[in-house]
Amino acid sequence: MDIEFSEEDLAFQQEVRSFIEENLPKGMDLWTKRGDWFKALREKGGWDVPKWPPEFGGPGFTPTQRYIFDMEMARHSTPPQLPFGVTMLAPILMAYGSKEQQDRFLPGIRDGSVNWCQGYSEPGAGSDLANLKTKAELTEDGKHYIVNGQKIWTTLAHIAHWIFCLTRTSSAGAKQEGITFLLFPMDSPGVEVRPIITLGGSHTVNEVYLTDVKVPVENRVGEEGKGWTYAKGLLAHERTGLAGIQNSVLALEKAKENAASIKVGDGTLLDVPAFRNKLGALEAELLALEFTELRTLASVAAGGSPGPESSILKLKGTEIQQRIQELNLEAAGVYAAVWGNKAAGPKFAKGAMSAYLGGRATTIYGGASEVQKDVISKNVLGLG
Amino acid sequence: MDLSYTEEQQMLRDSVQKFIEDNYDISERNKLTATDEGFSRDNWKQFAELGWLAMPFAEEDGGLGGSPVDTMILMEEFGKGLVVEPFFPTVVLAGSALSQFGSADQKAEVLAGIIDGSIIATFAYAEEGAHHNLDHVATTATKDGDFYTLSGTKSVVLNAASADRMLVSARTSGDVSDEAGITVFLVDAGADGISRDDYPTVDGLRASEVTLKDVKVPASAIVGKEGSGHDVLEAVSNRAILALAAESVGAMEKLYTDTIAYTKQRVQFDHPLSEFQVLKHRMTEMFMEHSLAKSLTMKATMLETQGSDETQRTIHALKYLIGKSSRFVGQNAVQLHGGMGMTEELRIAHYFKRLAIIDSQFGNTDHHLTRFVA
Repeated sequence: MDIEFSEEDLAFQQEVRSFIEENLPKGMDLWTKRGDWFKALREKGGWDVPKWPPEFGGPGFTPTQRYIFDMEMARHSTPPQLPFGVTMLAPILMAYGSKEQQDRFLPGIRDGSVNWCQGYSEPGAGSDLANLKTKAELTEDGKHYIVNGQKIWTTLAHIAHWIFCLTRTSSAGAKQEGITFLLFPMDSPGVEVRPIITLGGSHTVNEVYLTDVKVPVENRVGEEGKGWTYAKGLLAHERTGLAGIQNSVLALEKAKENAASIKVGDGTLLDVPAFRNKLGALEAELLALEFTELRTLASVAAGGSPGPESSILKLKGTEIQQRIQELNLEAAGVYAAVWGNKAAGPKFAKGAMSAYLGGRATTIYGGASEVQKDVISKNVLGLG
Repeated sequence: MDLSYTEEQQMLRDSVQKFIEDNYDISERNKLTATDEGFSRDNWKQFAELGWLAMPFAEEDGGLGGSPVDTMILMEEFGKGLVVEPFFPTVVLAGSALSQFGSADQKAEVLAGIIDGSIIATFAYAEEGAHHNLDHVATTATKDGDFYTLSGTKSVVLNAASADRMLVSARTSGDVSDEAGITVFLVDAGADGISRDDYPTVDGLRASEVTLKDVKVPASAIVGKEGSGHDVLEAVSNRAILALAAESVGAMEKLYTDTIAYTKQRVQFDHPLSEFQVLKHRMTEMFMEHSLAKSLTMKATMLETQGSDETQRTIHALKYLIGKSSRFVGQNAVQLHGGMGMTEELRIAHYFKRLAIIDSQFGNTDHHLTRFVA
């Protein structure tokens, strides 16, 4: 066993750090010059799409390089890309889409000119996603599908140009059969987006109503009725990995800074044993979780498959995120209440409340924690 | 021992329940929180007419001679209804300070106005840098003949924009965190030298940062004695915690019963969610947390009513327990509602936010657990 990276990997890490140092816009420029950043990543040799294989313009990282790359990006808080196109849809198109579909959609996904949203969940299909009812019927001439139904919790549907959508083309057989994967523009006649205002008043998710939406058959990905298989592959891509853990490492550092800024008696909140112990417990668990991720990496890098321990990453990672959010809220003290456009008390207070409220969703979306535990107990532990 | 409510108390509970049933479904409440003041003056008038604003005060002060138990009954029902009228700052905070420490003149003028509904009042106690320590008072009160001049900034003053009167803790002597040397003043909310920065709070209520700049008040504005403001703060804090605990118990009851109702009708994997063992156990735990919180709220309220020696320690235990159980019940109610729990459309989200704020008021779980074990 060797806990250190190889010489080559360390050199790569240095290369990534230097690249970030030279190219990442500083301060407020981070927002105005995002385009420059992504351009530099692209010109570096596909670093804008680190997960894409070389034949589609990706950098062809080894698993260890991927890990190092993601870790450095997270540690330096580089601007994230919307995941729906680059991370979620693109791998499906590469694996199951036609050459025409790849040529048509991948460039817009890569340069960010086309925003995508994911049309999966429905009012009756949340954790039980295969229960979806949105119907797609083939026209008599076989040239179009007519789509009717409703999607819900559709993130950023209100700014999306296109949607990738799971639809039901057959009710025969098991629920997982008869699901078809369609792509269509959000400005198609019959698509209506209604906002859902979530805890804390933000608008990120939507309801999407689909009424007689006409979708050409050439916008079907893969075969009719195989959509579930494709989507399951895609859900694997959604699994929160390293980025979430590195973000938590950063968030915990920030939580310490926040606590250090709060005066309590002659010291600060960091000196209060009850608070300090909670921070310490989180740090210890995070160390263990980071190394769990490394164990997963090591077994993949050695040519194996991720070990059973990889299944706990999302579960434990989201739990830790939420506990860090709680600590920030506690540090905000009475100022946790302040809302609206005004600010009062420590600068982090309002952000702490928003993060706490919004953070409750992380153990719900992408498979509620309870369902994840069911899956692990069945698939990993063999418990029926 | 008799833990049952008296006939009057049952009537009180029934009348609040009826009021909430008639006036307080979630869409009505959301309309109120969207108004300028964030509550209804008409409702406030009704509170006065129903005698709720007079309930805890002594008969000789014009009250109905109720006890903290009556306040508990009111607050528990207010918690279920997510009531937004300024009962807590006016009756619980300002009211208990004036009824326990106020002069005859202060009672005749201000307490009487609170009771008849004509005066809305609040207590400006929190300051930046205090982090739950009520004795951390940087606001100064300088004596000048028969007058005092107040200067400083107070934080998160509930309903300050609607308040006619404001109690303010200020330092007349000693260092910034000394227990001695704090004095509580009764100040006209519109007095020269008072400015406010008003904002909504995340739970839909209203608060302000209040700055006092050379605000001149007569010596007769002192509530209690000069330099003994710590006693006033402690007494008010205890009543505040009892009230907030009762409100939390009401909110938690709604959270776990709403969750049970939701999981019975929400079908996934061909079964109602309520049939999954892991969720059944979770809801059982929510019920357990609520039951324990309710028990300790009742015990602490009765000890306070009797004036028992155990009161202070029990109140520390209570605020700790309320914070812990509220977090568990609130978070799991959201979790078990899935995406629906994240929406502003359901009551769940509003109870959840309210409970998060209650933990930040008058000392959080760590603050009180530390004092409980001290």
